[in-house]
Amino acid sequence: MEKRAIMLLIILMAVGWAAAPCLAQEKMHVVDNAIFPDTRCSPALFDHDGHNEKAGIDDCGVCHHVYQNGRKSEVETSEDSACVECHALKAGADNPIGLRRAFHLRCIGCHQIGEVGPLMCAECHPRASLH
Amino acid sequence: MAEPAEKTPLESIPLAEPATALPVADAGIEAGVQALTPRTIADTVRRVLGAETGARLKAYLSTCTHCGLCAQACHFYLSNAHDPSYAPIGKIKHTLWELLKRKGQVSPEFIRQASLIAYTQCNMCRRCAIYCPLGIDVAYMISVVRRICRALGVTPLYLQDTVNSHSATHNQMWVKADEWVDTLQWQEEDARDEIPELRIPLEKEGADIMYSIIAPEPKFQAGLIYKAAVIMHVAGVDWTMPARPGWDNSDMAMYSGDYDIMGRIKRFHFDTAARLRVKKIVMGECGHAFRSVYDTGNRWLGWRMPPIETQHAIDFYYDLLTSGRIKVARKYEEPVTLHDPCNIVRGYGLHEKARYVVNALCEHFVEMTPNREYNYCCGAGGGVINCGPPYKQTRMRGNSVKARQLEATGVKVLIAPCHNCHSGLEDISQHYHLGLEVKFLADIMYEVMEK
Amino acid sequence: MIHTLYKLLSGPMMWLAVILFCAGTLYRLWTIFRLVRRKEKFICSYLSLRYSLRSLVHWLTPFASLNMRLNPVMTVVSFAFHICLLFVPLFLLAHIVLWEQAWGIHWWALPDLVADIMSLVVPAACIYFAIRRIRKPEVRYVTGVGDYLLLGLIALPFVTGFYCRMQWPGYGPVMLVHMFSGQVLLATLPFTRLSHMVLMWFTRSYMGSEFGAVRHARDY
Repeated sequence: MEKRAIMLLIILMAVGWAAAPCLAQEKMHVVDNAIFPDTRCSPALFDHDGHNEKAGIDDCGVCHHVYQNGRKSEVETSEDSACVECHALKAGADNPIGLRRAFHLRCIGCHQIGEVGPLMCAECHPRASLH
Repeated sequence: MAEPAEKTPLESIPLAEPATALPVADAGIEAGVQALTPRTIADTVRRVLGAETGARLKAYLSTCTHCGLCAQACHFYLSNAHDPSYAPIGKIKHTLWELLKRKGQVSPEFIRQASLIAYTQCNMCRRCAIYCPLGIDVAYMISVVRRICRALGVTPLYLQDTVNSHSATHNQMWVKADEWVDTLQWQEEDARDEIPELRIPLEKEGADIMYSIIAPEPKFQAGLIYKAAVIMHVAGVDWTMPARPGWDNSDMAMYSGDYDIMGRIKRFHFDTAARLRVKKIVMGECGHAFRSVYDTGNRWLGWRMPPIETQHAIDFYYDLLTSGRIKVARKYEEPVTLHDPCNIVRGYGLHEKARYVVNALCEHFVEMTPNREYNYCCGAGGGVINCGPPYKQTRMRGNSVKARQLEATGVKVLIAPCHNCHSGLEDISQHYHLGLEVKFLADIMYEVMEK
Repeated sequence: MIHTLYKLLSGPMMWLAVILFCAGTLYRLWTIFRLVRRKEKFICSYLSLRYSLRSLVHWLTPFASLNMRLNPVMTVVSFAFHICLLFVPLFLLAHIVLWEQAWGIHWWALPDLVADIMSLVVPAACIYFAIRRIRKPEVRYVTGVGDYLLLGLIALPFVTGFYCRMQWPGYGPVMLVHMFSGQVLLATLPFTRLSHMVLMWFTRSYMGSEFGAVRHARDY
């Protein structure tokens, strides 16, 4: 009985550890902006699951896309890599869109097409959460 | 560079009360206004603005931000208890702004007021031009108003009379042809008592220099011709004066806005120099004449610069002194101060040469402040004094700031190397009991030079 | 609603404002140059590069002209006003981010605190100018309703901009007012007295040239 209980606990812990990123993702409220060297506004508010549920986004590849030879891959997605891996801080030859622009285009661009969701600075970067 | 102070510590001269325009009876303006109809006004305004103004007026009027920073430049404003209607832009408000806004649909009474403003409350001395941050030339705009008033025939009587004289006799003061030669010979005769071999060479073709003067000299200041002749003789200059009309370099038509006559008399003056085949024209100590020859008349005739080299007396004296052709026997001892005339200082930058000449001739020179380009206008030179006695009070009340400036020097001898300044400053000295002796440079040079 | 207005203001209206500004500026220059060519060609023959620059330098350097020294407060306020008026819109991070978003271009941005202060300087200067207009008789005398409206027109985008920066209540609608007022200012600039921004270079140069090259005197 006791052995079983311990085994179960170990399994749960293993699953929990493996699932940790997913759990964390569910609790995501802001877009981590630690990668930016001199951040001058609060991290953008973003409730990942709530947003996707509201927006009806099932396809992770909408945001976590993979571009190959300038074309968006139909099958591959990039949830397991950080945005900055492709969108370096500075735009360059192999990176047409810098990170800050990528974020803004990803969010606002989509909101403009759908005519729903925040558009203006403070709607995502409220001043109160700056500190 | 000394910082020109705007305020003199002296409060002894009271500033005039805010003046609504003094009641003035001027038969010239009166007759002109009587003849006006709304139709002639509108047509004339449109014609002058349409045919004669262009980019400058448009740019000046649309650029002006109404900041009022030009006000402090104007002695009429400063002297009339800072009455804003005397500020340069205040004068434009009552003239061009309205004329443009109403497309010339203004009353004869409006033109009367515009005429008084343009002819008797502004000397076009261009002091405000160096005060405007945007480089707007208010003096030019006032000249446009004068041009309109002249075209409408609303010109002060005395000023118009001098223009008529220019037109009929080619000189400003109705000096007849024989009177002119007679005056020169009279001065020559007098001077020969002092220097027996002295001549005033008349009509000498091929001389180096033609000496031209303004008509008031033969009319009532003939002594200046005497002194000039002595200076020329001692300096050994090869000079001449015309015996026929063309000797007068003055130009009241420039001030009345009668540019056709201005063009005629300027050409006549240049033609006379060409006829005598002189190398250059030297002009007596007059400011407005220099403006007309160097800046305004030549341009009306299509010359970018005067077609014949033209030198103002200060410039000429400077050359005589630096080249040693005139030597100073004993410097003038009494302390002197110097008034910088607008037309040859803001108009030609002769201020440093004038100081050289004054210092070469005088022991003790006291600067008035402000000075050089920043000097206050004499209140006479831009044609205001030529509008005659009806406006003397306008000039006197309009220049208490000048009186204060002069009094602050504590000096009793004032050098004014310009005829209009000279007469205007004498009036100020009398009106404000300053007891100044106003002199030309020639007066002092004649007195102190080795003969 | 906000989406529609934002789309309108950030898109077509912005283009319209920029086009009106550019076209208006070119039109003003064209009319002036056409007048010069037709009626006052002589102006070109008096223009001197050296004395144009002498004049411009003396009037664009604080206290380098007599009148600036006589009016020190006005000089300081005026310079601060013009510098802030030109710098804040061009070097504000929030604006640069928008250009980056649209075209991928970006440049140096003002530090936040500096930008905050500078955008307050503009309306503060407008208040000073308004008070000056009211209190100084020589200025009041030549002041019309248009002069006050113009001050308001200049102050409004900066006041609303700062309001949005502070994220005070009503952020969204105020932002729309901010965008619109800025566009009105930009679009009307060439047609108001603010056109001195364009014409001043020529009036100043001409005055400088006449005074320097012809009259051998200072114009500052």
